[in-house]
Amino acid sequence: MTASLTDRYVWAAARSVPEAQRPEFQRELRERIGDAIDAHIARGAAAADAEHAALVELGDPWQLAARYVDRPLHLIGPRYFAAWWRLVKLLLVILVPLSAVGVLLGQVLSGAPIGEIIAEPITVALSVAVHVGFWTTLVFAIAERSATAMPVATWTPEQLPQVRDDARAGRLGDLIGSVVFLAIFAGAIVWQQAGAIFVDGERLPIPVLDPDLWSFWIPYFLVLLALEVAFAVVIYLRGWTWTMAGVNVLLNAAFTVPAVWLFLSGRLLAPEFLDAISWPWPSGGPVVVILTFVFVGIAVWDIIDGFRKAAANRSMPVASVVG
Amino acid sequence: MQDDDLTIGHLQELRRGTVVLACLVRLRTADYGYALLESLNARGITVDANTLYPLLRRLEKQGLLTSEWNTDESRPRKFYRTSPAGEALAAELTADWRRLDDALTRLTTGDES
Repeated sequence: MTASLTDRYVWAAARSVPEAQRPEFQRELRERIGDAIDAHIARGAAAADAEHAALVELGDPWQLAARYVDRPLHLIGPRYFAAWWRLVKLLLVILVPLSAVGVLLGQVLSGAPIGEIIAEPITVALSVAVHVGFWTTLVFAIAERSATAMPVATWTPEQLPQVRDDARAGRLGDLIGSVVFLAIFAGAIVWQQAGAIFVDGERLPIPVLDPDLWSFWIPYFLVLLALEVAFAVVIYLRGWTWTMAGVNVLLNAAFTVPAVWLFLSGRLLAPEFLDAISWPWPSGGPVVVILTFVFVGIAVWDIIDGFRKAAANRSMPVASVVG
Repeated sequence: MQDDDLTIGHLQELRRGTVVLACLVRLRTADYGYALLESLNARGITVDANTLYPLLRRLEKQGLLTSEWNTDESRPRKFYRTSPAGEALAAELTADWRRLDDALTRLTTGDES
């Protein structure tokens, strides 16, 4: 004889109930199903239809059992949700950029090809994000199901965040863009030292920049890049002002004037590099002129952009919080 | 339609606690799940089987109901009865119900005294 629908339902529901409660639970459930079937028959249904209809009313056996034994039907409930959400955000903000920058640095120092330098940090950042999400959620889901409550820090008014300056939030994109660009630029300067020309996948020890520049000019440019990062952070915190636009002019001049001067006087690029790409320096004529214009153009555009933003900032009411 | 859903939601919320009180009062005479469900609904206390059966189990676990299996008939049935602790809770809940009713009446009639 095959098991009836009721037998199958009771078995399916009892499966997820702790063993100690199982016999009592099965007995209670049989009583309930029997009474529900009788009720359907009393209303004029055929026996088989009555059983089917009664089980439809009971719904998913796993869910029914969960309600009987007070098992949560959610992954993380209201007790832990806030703590879980804060922790996940905190871990993501700290661990993802840290691991991406760490891998980027490692790749640059080990002289990996440019494709890997870009791809590897992205892959690692993604997998770190997935791991953080998964393991944190797992711990909280277990805590939700354990009998003893996990101690959760009680909230106090001191944890209230400062009211956010909306203009600053808008500048965050600029900050990230600047820092990423400057970091890549500085990384490229260091990286090219070990050779930037690949023949059949093999790296030739030919740097782009003249190694003599390491005695002064390359460290000088690296320090300037660091100053640019600090400048970007200050802009993020304070916003553009006429003074900051002025400082921006100085920084741009400090970088572009020596760079163009070194370039035009033929001291910027390594002779071996020019040989390798067979560039007949200094008779490069139009290319030299175009490159010079691009260099100077970028600097001038950046200077104008600074003044434009300072002017826009001036005309807007200053966001202030009275407190 | 959305208004109807809204009303149903609020009504359910308002009735939620009253089911416990109704069970405790009704089970002063012992009865089994389905009979209790029918008699409560017949008396205008709307409750769903999916709510009532797990509730009986919980109240028993909390010591507010006692239970006994009756095997006289072909189908064994679990008969629940209000325990002394359940009786005490019912008295407290009833008193609070009356207090709320009075307070609401005063609110609606606008009598501030």
